[in-house]
Amino acid sequence: MKYYPGTSFLHRLDARVKIILLLMLTILVFMTRNFPVLAVIFVFLLLGWKISGIPMRELGGYLKLLVGLIAFVVLIQCLFQRGETSLIDPILPEFLPLVGGMGRITVEGVQFGLLLGFRLLVIMCLMPLVIMCTRIRELSLGFVKLGVPYRIAFMITTALNQVPLLQDEITTITDAQKLRAFTVFEDGTPLKKLKAYPTLVIPLVMGAMKKSMLIGTAMDVRAFGSRKGRSYLHDIQMGRADMVTLVGMILFCAVLAAANYMLQR
Amino acid sequence: MTETAISVERVTYRYHNGFQALTDVDFQIRKHEFVAIIGQNGAGKSTLLKNLVGLYKPTQGNIVVNGINTRDISIARLSTKVGFVLQNPDRQLFANTVEEEITFGPRNLKLEQAEIDRRLEHALEMTGLGPLREDFPMALSAGDRAKVVIASVIAMQPEIIILDEPTTGQDRRGCAQIMDIAKDFQNRGFTVVVVTHHMALVADYAERVIVMCQGQKLLDGPTAEIFTQTQALRKAFVMPPQVTQLAARLQPQLGQQGAVLHTKELADLVARQYFSGKESSIQ
Repeated sequence: MKYYPGTSFLHRLDARVKIILLLMLTILVFMTRNFPVLAVIFVFLLLGWKISGIPMRELGGYLKLLVGLIAFVVLIQCLFQRGETSLIDPILPEFLPLVGGMGRITVEGVQFGLLLGFRLLVIMCLMPLVIMCTRIRELSLGFVKLGVPYRIAFMITTALNQVPLLQDEITTITDAQKLRAFTVFEDGTPLKKLKAYPTLVIPLVMGAMKKSMLIGTAMDVRAFGSRKGRSYLHDIQMGRADMVTLVGMILFCAVLAAANYMLQR
Repeated sequence: MTETAISVERVTYRYHNGFQALTDVDFQIRKHEFVAIIGQNGAGKSTLLKNLVGLYKPTQGNIVVNGINTRDISIARLSTKVGFVLQNPDRQLFANTVEEEITFGPRNLKLEQAEIDRRLEHALEMTGLGPLREDFPMALSAGDRAKVVIASVIAMQPEIIILDEPTTGQDRRGCAQIMDIAKDFQNRGFTVVVVTHHMALVADYAERVIVMCQGQKLLDGPTAEIFTQTQALRKAFVMPPQVTQLAARLQPQLGQQGAVLHTKELADLVARQYFSGKESSIQ
């Protein structure tokens, strides 16, 4: 997930507006239990992707990674979420201690599972859109101008910067393992894959820790944090279009929140 | 006639983003050869190596390893014929002990325990890692971590070993130890291919050099012959070892034929020139 160069309206929009939009929509997505509200946000985001000019295959790539997780979340909720209206009767009788009632699938459980899955899907459409339309340095500056301490803003943006590098590392590590006849990540069962994760995670985490220590030292020797304030090479200015968009977005989110409240009553 | 270990047949490789990293590369590596592939960063060396071990399949052309086209064999199967030591050892180590790390590959091949033990002992003996067999690989020195990776590749018992910049970040002793292991591998009858920017090591160990430039093979020949072609090497942003450059400057005085690759060789030439008529050699 990294900046995708472009000149679209979303690319030009002030980073602060995009961060505020990201926060408002994320809160809305996690607050709502209504499919229509989520569907409106989803369509709105798809429109955003269209406006951004970023090829939809980029989004498709991220969603492909998430399909398994969404399916897992839906399945777990279906199996364990309690409800009134039974769809499938329990495999184990209710009177058994601990495991009694296992296997019951309820309408409420399925609905909640689908809701969580939909939430994940919407968040996955939102986060990459904001990150791919905003230069990391603008994102960092946007956080600072919104009052986030520079250290935290730097931490967030550095972490984002490292994501593509981590993806490269994962490819190199799995390549090294394939070269030692280890093909579990390609053709193994889910259980085997789960058992094999330490072989991937250990070099990845060790490498990331070493790198972060190096980055820390490199920053310290260049006086990171020696003064409270700091100056910036590039600045961001809120223009008229940014202000209008911000007001529009706040209104849009307010309408959605109101709709959510009405539907929930 | 010596058999062919690797045959690269007019290989072109294009990445998914359309970047063409290799163009019409064509060469053969014979069994028991020690070949160095050199060139500046971005010349296509690493892409070529990844094609040789089957991680990438050529966009055009073919790569045949020990008579098998890399398109027709899985990477896991190919790993028993051609071993690949990646550049950064830290991306390859994860086990709790050196022994576990070395036996990871043979265990994936589902070999008998006796055979795994034999391969472990063989790899430890070749790399001199015996005293460290119980140690945590990540906690070893850079030189020893590199040796663990080489040992884990040797344990796959490949007939060809390919090393991608194995001496990066190593001191002089570490470089020599790693290259000595590679030479030992060749002396035992196997084939070695090394990518390096360390020209003195190329001069000391490789019999043949392939020079890559902008995704194409620029030069290919015996090491001494390649290091005389300074104009072509300059095009690939490669300089011969310092001793070779010095000897080339002294050529009018020393009158030698071809490139001088080793300090000892140059010292002997100088000694012969200044003590001509006497039996002399600088030790």
